Amino acid sequence: MQKTTANHKQKNRPKNLNLFTIRLPINAIVSILHRVSGIGLFLALPLILLAFQASVGTPRHYSSLMQILDTWIIKLVLIGFAWAFFHHFFAGIRHLLQDIHWMTSLQKARFSSRVLLWLVATLVVIFALCIWMW
Amino acid sequence: MLIQLLTKKYPGMRLWLSQRLTALVMTIYLVLLLGLLLVIQPNGYTAWHDFVSPIWFRLATLLFFMCLLMHAWLGVTDVLKDYIFNKTLRAYLQVAVELALIGYLFWLAFILWNI
Repeated sequence: MQKTTANHKQKNRPKNLNLFTIRLPINAIVSILHRVSGIGLFLALPLILLAFQASVGTPRHYSSLMQILDTWIIKLVLIGFAWAFFHHFFAGIRHLLQDIHWMTSLQKARFSSRVLLWLVATLVVIFALCIWMW
Repeated sequence: MLIQLLTKKYPGMRLWLSQRLTALVMTIYLVLLLGLLLVIQPNGYTAWHDFVSPIWFRLATLLFFMCLLMHAWLGVTDVLKDYIFNKTLRAYLQVAVELALIGYLFWLAFILWNI
């Protein structure tokens, strides 16, 4: 009897799923970015395969790939890809560490989220600087 | 306990573990690859070709890619389940993703075979 009352109460709770009025907590931001970056990497797969194929093809394929990679628009794409990779990679490692019960309290999870976002941002900047000079 | 969780009774646990194991294999491959790239620094076509030619490198890359496809399948399936509510559309997208992933595997095998 008590259980049904509880269920009834839950159904009548106010619900707000409007993404524009919800302020996502930092752990939720890391989580949704993990999904976004994963989908991004999945969509980038044919491009990666194409680039790999060209790089190990004939010397002419290789040099034309190098020329394409040297254009600024492709460099922007590469920076976007690097972000997706770094975020997915390190957020994934954070997940694995949480699976073995490391840093699982809310406070520690928030801390690791902040570390993760700064780490990824730093790596993306370093990556961008490297390919800009190359 | 763990063995029991991995029987057919709990299919979700199998998927969960597959996602983690493939992630682990990919991490090991990527760390080793990065290390080799930093040590050898293959610059130019010939050096790059020599770098990717050994049979163990090609086999490792194939293994990495198989893990990647499994991992991507698990991830994309979860995302589709969460965001695509129309079941027919979801089923079509699922098949499209699966065909693409299988196609990528054959494509990579073709590339590695022809190095």
